[in-house]
Amino acid sequence: MLQYALKRLGLSVVIVSVAMAMLFAMIYVIPGDPASVALGPRATPEMVQALRSRMGLDQPIWVQFARFYFSALRGDLGIEILSGRPVLGVVFEQLPFTLALIAGAISWSVLLGIPLGCVAAIRRGGFVDRVIGVLSVAVIAVPSFVIAIYSLLIFAVALQWLPAIGAGEPGNLGSQLKHLILPSLAIGVGWVGYIARMVRASMLETLEASHIRTARAFGLPESRITYSYALRIAILPTITLLGVGVGTMVSSAVFAEIVFARPGIGKLVYEAISVRNYPVVTGAVLVTTVFFVVVNAFADIIIAALDPRVRSSFS
Amino acid sequence: MTKVANIDMTRRGLLAGAGALGLASLIYSGKRAQAAGSILKVRSYGDIQTLDPAFRLAAPEGDITNVIFASLVVATPGDNWGWKPMAVEKIEQLDPLTVAFKLRDNIGFTDGFGQLTAEDVKFSIERIADPSNKSPYAGDWATLKEVEVKDKLSGIIHLKEGFAPLWTSTLPTPSSTILSKRAVTEAGGKLGVKPVAQSGPYLLKEWSPKQRTVLVRNPDWKYEQGSYDEIHILPIEDEKTAELGYEAGDLDYTWTSVSSIKRLKETPPANTAVVQKPSLAFVWLGMNQTAAPFDNPDLRRAIQYGVDRKAVVDAAYFGAADTSTGIIAPGLIGHREKNLFDYDPDKARELVDKAGASGVTVTLDILNKAERLSAAQVVQANLQDIGINVEIKQNDSGTFWTLGSKENPYSKKLQMVLSRFSMQPDPSWATEWYTRSQIGVWNWEQFSSEEFDKLVVAGKVELDPAKRDVMYKKMQDLMEESGCYVFLTHEVTGVMHRKSVAAALKPNGEPCFEDFKLA
Repeated sequence: MLQYALKRLGLSVVIVSVAMAMLFAMIYVIPGDPASVALGPRATPEMVQALRSRMGLDQPIWVQFARFYFSALRGDLGIEILSGRPVLGVVFEQLPFTLALIAGAISWSVLLGIPLGCVAAIRRGGFVDRVIGVLSVAVIAVPSFVIAIYSLLIFAVALQWLPAIGAGEPGNLGSQLKHLILPSLAIGVGWVGYIARMVRASMLETLEASHIRTARAFGLPESRITYSYALRIAILPTITLLGVGVGTMVSSAVFAEIVFARPGIGKLVYEAISVRNYPVVTGAVLVTTVFFVVVNAFADIIIAALDPRVRSSFS
Repeated sequence: MTKVANIDMTRRGLLAGAGALGLASLIYSGKRAQAAGSILKVRSYGDIQTLDPAFRLAAPEGDITNVIFASLVVATPGDNWGWKPMAVEKIEQLDPLTVAFKLRDNIGFTDGFGQLTAEDVKFSIERIADPSNKSPYAGDWATLKEVEVKDKLSGIIHLKEGFAPLWTSTLPTPSSTILSKRAVTEAGGKLGVKPVAQSGPYLLKEWSPKQRTVLVRNPDWKYEQGSYDEIHILPIEDEKTAELGYEAGDLDYTWTSVSSIKRLKETPPANTAVVQKPSLAFVWLGMNQTAAPFDNPDLRRAIQYGVDRKAVVDAAYFGAADTSTGIIAPGLIGHREKNLFDYDPDKARELVDKAGASGVTVTLDILNKAERLSAAQVVQANLQDIGINVEIKQNDSGTFWTLGSKENPYSKKLQMVLSRFSMQPDPSWATEWYTRSQIGVWNWEQFSSEEFDKLVVAGKVELDPAKRDVMYKKMQDLMEESGCYVFLTHEVTGVMHRKSVAAALKPNGEPCFEDFKLA
């Protein structure tokens, strides 16, 4: 097991290194001079040149990459070109907002998707199953930004039940949760459909398993068989799906943070790209990549710990 | 099943009840917060990146530094451009080269940095003007000789030459903001985003990046106090998002998108005043006179005749904006009453034939914004009508603003561009980008006129408004005669605010936060 874990972590380092190289390459093929954009129209050419020099943009690309790579290894993601603050601090200021958004989205998808999937499986072929099926496909098909805008118009503008913008009062958990409801719903509602469909399929398969037939033969209540025995097994693929889905949710967070004017990594990267604030773009994407790779590595290690077949297939 | 006393309650029921109670309390707490205290919630289109007025990057930073630091004078709200004293008891121009000031006696800096003195004024102004400090606003003090300190509170600003924009776009802007010499020196010569030595009518209490900036009334400010206990400034880049936030009750004041002005005026949100203000900005269609086929003056003139400017502006701004006659807006010195060349498709076709350019395809670069695309599409249709095919190329802001830079090889190939510059209330701000020294910097059309360059220099030092008026009109004539420009519009600014707020707006709609009052 230790050998597996070490190999898996080694693979993660390789993945992050490749991602850094790709990220660096992509950033530098985008047209536009960050120094000119950052300094604005009143800057003289001398000022632009001075900033380019300070940012190291006048160095050969391989020197810039080596600096970026080895500084990142030391945890130094550089200096934000507009405010002069350390990029790591800027990124970690915004990261909790995005993590909260993703946690909220996962909560919506799990709290709604799993019960709906179970009910659909139990009422297989019936009216309720069909309605849930149609709804699931519908929420999968409708783009998240459409849901975001309509939920905002209905619940914030028309009914004024929930706030439309911002992340809530700093230090006020109630206010922050209230500001989280609509954006997390916008991201999570599509996943409700995915999870409901997956839980339904998985439940149907599990409900036909021999141990469930045995439980029924013993006369256990149907609700206990469903929720205590079948769901416990049927839910495993859903956890895998959510693990992979975190990456998609991070990208969905970009639009949610813009539409709802929330702080967060997505908005940070979006704004940084538009002004060619390369240190922030690379820093934020790198931190997100590391987060994603680490989460998946741990998920793989946990699965391997539970299932010896995974360990053997890896070796 | 769990039974609680005589109430028939399941564990599930208890959890559901608790959840409902929690949700209700969340909603209630929000309503209660809205009702509490005099808090003004306003939208800003960007977050702060620095609190140093000498290195401000955009207007939102100036809006904040204007209220947390005392300036010599500040702009006044209203329909006409003006200024009022802030840190000064008295300020007057003794002659074209001399401005005397006397500071108010009891303005202090926070954080133990003592009283605001004439020495701080000298430091703050000379710091911006000093080329070695590389302030982008050094041009605001282009003719400064020195600031002489007479005593603790009095001083004289000496100029090398007369400077016409002094009272319009230098003194009533953050370029006259006074910082504590000691605080800036201790901070290493430059302020960051941490507020130190504040001295204005409001103090910056909290900055949550990309979330909000909270200003609170300065209890030590002895002069006209702000009406609001707190001002919360929310950075919201997207105008439509801000409009929805306003309609949801999360904001008391916001700029609107131009496309929404008509709808909001017809059906304003409850308890709302919708205001339309003329903007000073200018939008134009430019042609690079060194890039084929626009190196042919006949073709440039054909474009000037071929673009139906009213149709372009109506399409882009939903009928809310007027066409412009140049780059200097109405109400400013140098504003022209009419264009030299206007829509005449027949004449345009003749010139296209004369230039032998019928059927030619050109590229029009634009910023990827909805109104620019609408404008470009009408230009495309207009020019199609006179035999010129236009390919529209949309660019994101990072790419767009470097298209004409001499470091960018594309600047030599750039053919047509739809662009917009913002503006201060002095005509010199509009013209200085089109000199020959600006070719490859901001003069993307590569317009080249020795006479124009001389007038740009002369216009800044000429103090007679009538003479300046003639000069700036002539400059715009030269621009238009070159064929490089089709002047489109100055745009408009849409603002909406609660009727309970007496919004203090400059003539172009920019806010003066310290003057916002409870209506």
